[in-house]
Amino acid sequence: MRILVIEDEPDLLASLAKALREEGYAVDTAADGEDGLYKAESWDYDALVLDVMLPGLDGWAVLQRLRQSKKTPVLMLTARDTPRDRVRGLDTGADDYVVKPFDLEELFARLRALIRRAAGKTQNRLEIGQLVIDTAARRVSRAGRPVELTAREYALVEFLALHRGEVVTRTMLYEHLFDEDDSTLSNLLDVHVSNLRKKLGAEFITTRRGHGYCIE
Amino acid sequence: MKFFHSIRWRLQLWHGLLLVVVLAGFGFTAWRLQRATQFQRVDQELDRQVQVIFRAIGGPGGKPPGHPPHDGFRPRRPEERRSEPAPDRNEEGPPGPREFAMPVLDASLFADESGRTYYCVVWNRNGREMFRSAAAPPDVPCPELAVGSRDSRLRGTTRELFSYTPPGERFLVGRDIRDELAGMRRFAWLLASAGVVVLVLGLAGGWWVSTRALSPIAAISAAAARISTGDLAQRIQTADTSSELGNLARVLNDTFARLQASFERQAQFTADASHELRTPVSVVLTQTQSALARERPAAEYRESLAACQRAAQRMRRLTESLLTLARLDSGEAATTREPCDLDRLAGDATELLRPIAEEQKITLEVEATPTRCEGNAEQLGQVVTNLVSNAISYNRPGGSVRVKVAAEPGAAVLTVTDTGQGIAPGDLPHVFERFYRADNSRNRRAGGGAGLGLAICKAIAHAHHAALEVASTQGRGSTFALRIPVTQARK
Repeated sequence: MRILVIEDEPDLLASLAKALREEGYAVDTAADGEDGLYKAESWDYDALVLDVMLPGLDGWAVLQRLRQSKKTPVLMLTARDTPRDRVRGLDTGADDYVVKPFDLEELFARLRALIRRAAGKTQNRLEIGQLVIDTAARRVSRAGRPVELTAREYALVEFLALHRGEVVTRTMLYEHLFDEDDSTLSNLLDVHVSNLRKKLGAEFITTRRGHGYCIE
Repeated sequence: MKFFHSIRWRLQLWHGLLLVVVLAGFGFTAWRLQRATQFQRVDQELDRQVQVIFRAIGGPGGKPPGHPPHDGFRPRRPEERRSEPAPDRNEEGPPGPREFAMPVLDASLFADESGRTYYCVVWNRNGREMFRSAAAPPDVPCPELAVGSRDSRLRGTTRELFSYTPPGERFLVGRDIRDELAGMRRFAWLLASAGVVVLVLGLAGGWWVSTRALSPIAAISAAAARISTGDLAQRIQTADTSSELGNLARVLNDTFARLQASFERQAQFTADASHELRTPVSVVLTQTQSALARERPAAEYRESLAACQRAAQRMRRLTESLLTLARLDSGEAATTREPCDLDRLAGDATELLRPIAEEQKITLEVEATPTRCEGNAEQLGQVVTNLVSNAISYNRPGGSVRVKVAAEPGAAVLTVTDTGQGIAPGDLPHVFERFYRADNSRNRRAGGGAGLGLAICKAIAHAHHAALEVASTQGRGSTFALRIPVTQARK
């Protein structure tokens, strides 16, 4: 899952990005509205964390312009929490709201829900045969037994599971699992896929040669 | 007693008292007048009757007693006057020519045309009864009367008129005036009931008038009560605006409006202040929650602590600014004013900022001529610091900031000019407002200023009765000028 955080307070941006990365997300950052809008329009992020008060282009303007081309789920961060502000945000096309100061746990939970809803799922439990993915606890179990996965591996499974039945290209995977700071080697993905096959069974992820991967 | 404290009840009470006094006075006077008229009429009748009787008993002039020259009786001769006998001579002596004689005792003499019965009693000068008509009550006392005069009296239910005859007999005519007295009583009752009716009407009218007059007060107190429960948007509804109470209502409405505006400003200020605090609190929360989520290398902890420290310092700056503003608003800081050298003060404050200016490749120029003014050195120093650090923050790299202090006629003037991007004309009127930021965001380069720096400058200027003005050309830079009035021009 790749997330863009647009926040102008550097310390808050850094700590949010770090905490989200530790949660297994690929995180891009932008310190102002213009940069944020450019990035949000250029990539298909799984979610956007957008601060309302930004220098230059403010959060409302970013949201309004973004909605002309993208349906990316947007979580607004705001210091103003009057009902009028919330209504305005939701009407402009925000998907959810978090009022500063917030708890990281709440922010994570809301982001998970946002991403889940965007993928058309309403529960945080995905079942594929004997495999159960708990997106809230970020745990995978197979036939009732927990499977140890690295954060990246988990992200890969989750992404494929959320796009079950679709062919997910390598480009998509790169775009959603690695952020702009990752100096990814092109074979890193193959390493992750091969590790997953060892842990979850060789037949779990099928390779469509020339297209990408798929979970049937 | 609650209603003794009510204006309406007190008005009503006074109104009622006045009405009672006026009505009682009027009624009593009317009754007295009526009574006097009545008695006068009775007396006239009695007088007429006296004449009738006199005529009947054959007096030549037929004139009543007391009307000289008189004569139902023989006129006295001068010699008789001289030889006025002793008082009892009349009693002892044989009936003389001056002795009263009642020749005819015709009952018709003692009644008039309307059938009223009169009586007549005559005493000689010694008070011995000489004649008594049939209808006379048995106990008519002999009236005390000065010689030659006449008088009347009310005795029980009878009215009596008496006089002296020239020879000295006391002649009394009376009649029963029971009917007249009953009429008087009826009249008194009529007056009393009319008075009661007028009193009731007057009280009702007074109640209506006071209700009407006091109704704006009811409206005012109702509105004030609603406002005191917290609804500051309430106003007094008044139809008439020209009366005294209408004026009062208008004045109160103005006051309420100003109160409301001040409350709203205060609420806005508090909301802005809390919003300003939210971001640094968010930093502390996310940093600590993320740092505590797992074991980390020492370097990461240090990084988190440093971020928390930055946030805390930002909060400290904000609370200091808020406190400064609160003190300036309450006027407690404006008390200490002493002569100070504005040029030295500006130079010192600017020098402190030189390292920051150099860091950002900005040239700082100070051009100060000795200038003295009255003021609080610490506060004026803060104005210089705020203006200069703003000028540095909003400058372009390689730009310059010029601080100039000069004495002008009647004022000490400090100007700070920068070569930054300037301020948009739309923002210009608002730059001194609290928490106002030209681009609606925190300006990082200004070190996270909350938008209070210029507001503090303005408040300090206000406390010094000084003018703080700004002029700006977009793209060229801005100039802030502080003009402190000086009572006597100094070189």
